[in-house]
Amino acid sequence: MLELKGIDKYYNPGTVNEMCLFDGFNLTVKDGEFVSVVGSNGSGKTSMLNILCGSIPVEHGSIVMDGQDITNMKEYRRNRRIGRVYQNPAMGTCPSMTILENMSLADNKGKFYGLGRGVNRNRKEHYRELLARLGLGLEDKLDVLVGSLSGGQRQAMALLMSTMTDVDFLILDEHTAALDPKTAEIIMELTDQIVREKNLTAVMVTHNLRYAVEYGNRLLMMHQGKIVLDLAGEEKKAVKVDDILRQFNEISIECGN
Amino acid sequence: MKKKVLAVILGAAMAMSLGACGSSGGSGNSASGQDSSGEKTYTIGISQFAEHGSLDNCREGFIEGLKEEGIEEGKNLTIEVKNAAADQGTAKQISDTFVSDKVDLICAIATPSAQAAYNSAIDTDIPVIYTAVTDPIAAELADENGAPVGNVTGTSDELPIKAQLEMIREMLPDAEKIGIMYTTSEVNSVSALETYKELAGDYGFTIVDKGVTQTADISLATDEILEEVDCLTNLTDNTVVNSLATILDKANVKKIPVFGSEIEQVKIGCLAAEGLDYVELGKQTGRMAAKVLKGEAEASEMNYEIITEPGYYVNTAVAENLGITVSEELLETAAESFDSISS
Amino acid sequence: MGIYMTILEQGLIYGILALGVYITYKILDFPDLTVDGSFPLGAALTATMITNGVNPYLTLPASFLIGAAAGVCTGLIHVKCKVRDLLSGIIMMTALWTVNLRLAGTANVPIFSKDSIFDNDFINGVMPEALSGWKKLIVIAVITVAAKLLLDLYLKTKSGFLLRAAGDNEVLVTSLAKNQGNVKILGLSIANGLVALAGCVFCQEQRVFEISSGTGAIVIGLASVIIGTSLFKNLTVMKATTAVLIGSVIYKACVAAALKFFEPQDMKLITAVLFLIILVIGMERRKKVKKHA
Repeated sequence: MLELKGIDKYYNPGTVNEMCLFDGFNLTVKDGEFVSVVGSNGSGKTSMLNILCGSIPVEHGSIVMDGQDITNMKEYRRNRRIGRVYQNPAMGTCPSMTILENMSLADNKGKFYGLGRGVNRNRKEHYRELLARLGLGLEDKLDVLVGSLSGGQRQAMALLMSTMTDVDFLILDEHTAALDPKTAEIIMELTDQIVREKNLTAVMVTHNLRYAVEYGNRLLMMHQGKIVLDLAGEEKKAVKVDDILRQFNEISIECGN
Repeated sequence: MKKKVLAVILGAAMAMSLGACGSSGGSGNSASGQDSSGEKTYTIGISQFAEHGSLDNCREGFIEGLKEEGIEEGKNLTIEVKNAAADQGTAKQISDTFVSDKVDLICAIATPSAQAAYNSAIDTDIPVIYTAVTDPIAAELADENGAPVGNVTGTSDELPIKAQLEMIREMLPDAEKIGIMYTTSEVNSVSALETYKELAGDYGFTIVDKGVTQTADISLATDEILEEVDCLTNLTDNTVVNSLATILDKANVKKIPVFGSEIEQVKIGCLAAEGLDYVELGKQTGRMAAKVLKGEAEASEMNYEIITEPGYYVNTAVAENLGITVSEELLETAAESFDSISS
Repeated sequence: MGIYMTILEQGLIYGILALGVYITYKILDFPDLTVDGSFPLGAALTATMITNGVNPYLTLPASFLIGAAAGVCTGLIHVKCKVRDLLSGIIMMTALWTVNLRLAGTANVPIFSKDSIFDNDFINGVMPEALSGWKKLIVIAVITVAAKLLLDLYLKTKSGFLLRAAGDNEVLVTSLAKNQGNVKILGLSIANGLVALAGCVFCQEQRVFEISSGTGAIVIGLASVIIGTSLFKNLTVMKATTAVLIGSVIYKACVAAALKFFEPQDMKLITAVLFLIILVIGMERRKKVKKHA
């Protein structure tokens, strides 16, 4: 379970440009939930993910993971239990290393990076099977540098790498936004598959309203640092893209956009 | 494609230039020998550590000294002069090149070049003659008795500190504190300063020293030391001597005399010096080299030499500015006196 | 022959330094100026140990360790005090000047009369008479090749993978639940360890410690890395570490050639021009790769 309790977040505190983003923000994500988050630019979606992961500090409030207060825990320590996929496919992989080396690197997450051999030959078949599931033919390119792959192939690898070990939470930060529609579809399918299989608790920020409606079992709409719509269970199942779009336009008009 | 061509040309140019190095190495075999008239000819490599007034004087004096002994450039002598631009690695590469060119003798000017030359020639029979090495014993070029450690000898530019102190006492009877600026990383300066401190008491002086690490520190250090002293005296410190103009400007404002350590410094505005004439030092070195070349002596059997009679240099124009009168008898002993300040 | 030998000797000694610079500049993308201080640091420690009669072979690991410690300091300044990379190096380089001077006692420590890794009872015993002219070169080559092979091996370990990842993609290291600051510190320590090792061998080859010997070391290292990796970029069979060593020898060859034809005063300008040409060639190729992708 992930909880944000009474979060205050200011940008440029103490200057004339001070801007309050969150003022007493609360959110609880239960185990097994797959939450899609939509909202206009600047509504605080990505900031919320960054706060969850510890990439940015907060002024007040606490972040709780399975009952443990992790507000002051460093980002890299939180990542032991969190997998994260970014919008930019380059951020999830190492371009100057081969596919095999990248997979081995991710496979060792949570363990000691010592002087043992970097590539574990015994796991090669396992990696090959994982890659084969992507249907991108990467299983035959184990010795190819990741830097020479396409954006979609790299994002697929990033997704695979971030969920290779026993993480409990998956944070998806507009992870299909930089991909062409067809590849985006493949990646989205794969994400859903992995979340179900590994029984992960996932939070996905997206600009694609259709994905938000079709995938996941809870839907949040954010606006100016507040949750303006929160659908779960049957409500979520019944909702249509048009409904969300209408809501979305309403808040945008209020803003005068 | 164009770039590739460029790269190939670049590579070819390097290879060719190396070939040239190699071939001249080969021809070096015949460098020493008989010329058509049957007279013996010599090849000498001069390895100078840095571009520097005193070191340049040494080099000129060295060539002069050889000439006095009948070994003259263009007649029976070929000279290759290389300057290491104050880089130790380059100094080694220069002396290695001389060794592979099989020169008859290497002349090394200043301590790092001397050490590099000795190191390069250690397994050969090429003699190394050095000059402007302040302390050959500390540099391990000579043993405690001044005898060579190998086929290497030369001259030291050790300062005549006693004579300098005596001279300062005579010119400034009331002075108490002598200021000395030096660079902490220059071995020669540190050892000269030690000697000054040891001897100062004998003449009723105390030494105030101020260490600097680089040229940028000179200005501040000068201001500070001038607050405390009655006069300044120079070592042969490269950093300080190179900034002498700055020091003289500041000292002149406060009417504090600055004593030099060699003739060039007196020319440009130091009051006086009981110092070295590097041209003379070079000549002495050249004469030593001539003996070795002619086979009259072995470098390995000659102790290193120092200038026995320091020269007294004085600048009367500076004295006038400072309101100091130089006694007639002192003026008479001067090896050279200047009545103007050249800059 | 002699001049080629000198080029190889010097090239291989500075090759060890270039391996260190390769780690910081190419792998970690960290322009580390500590090098100008850690190179003479290795030399200073070596001179001090040798004048005190320590077995010369012990100077090799000792120099590596003291250099590694200097690298850790640079890393801590950068990571913990959040000082920018270039400045952290400058701070350490400046501090090391004093450390070197204090460690060695004076600015110039000759070790002509002492045993060295090139000249001691052991090496004189095992080296056949016929090879005695090659002794120095052989000893240097053994040390350099050993350093290169160990580095190659290390870069294939898990820890080495993490180091390569840190230079490529800092975010990924954090994602792998590792503190990327610590990985940087580790990389800097290995790099400066190698640089100090180069200083150690250099000092014994020159038979003298000279405080100014580190001045410009970073330029030599960078030039070697850039020459090596740019010239052999298209040869995928060649390891980058090998390319860097060859780059270092080429650089020293250029110095020898320049010494032959130009005044040493012009050397730095020639180096800079050479540097620029190679960089430009290298960049052109990179653009091409991108266009095809």
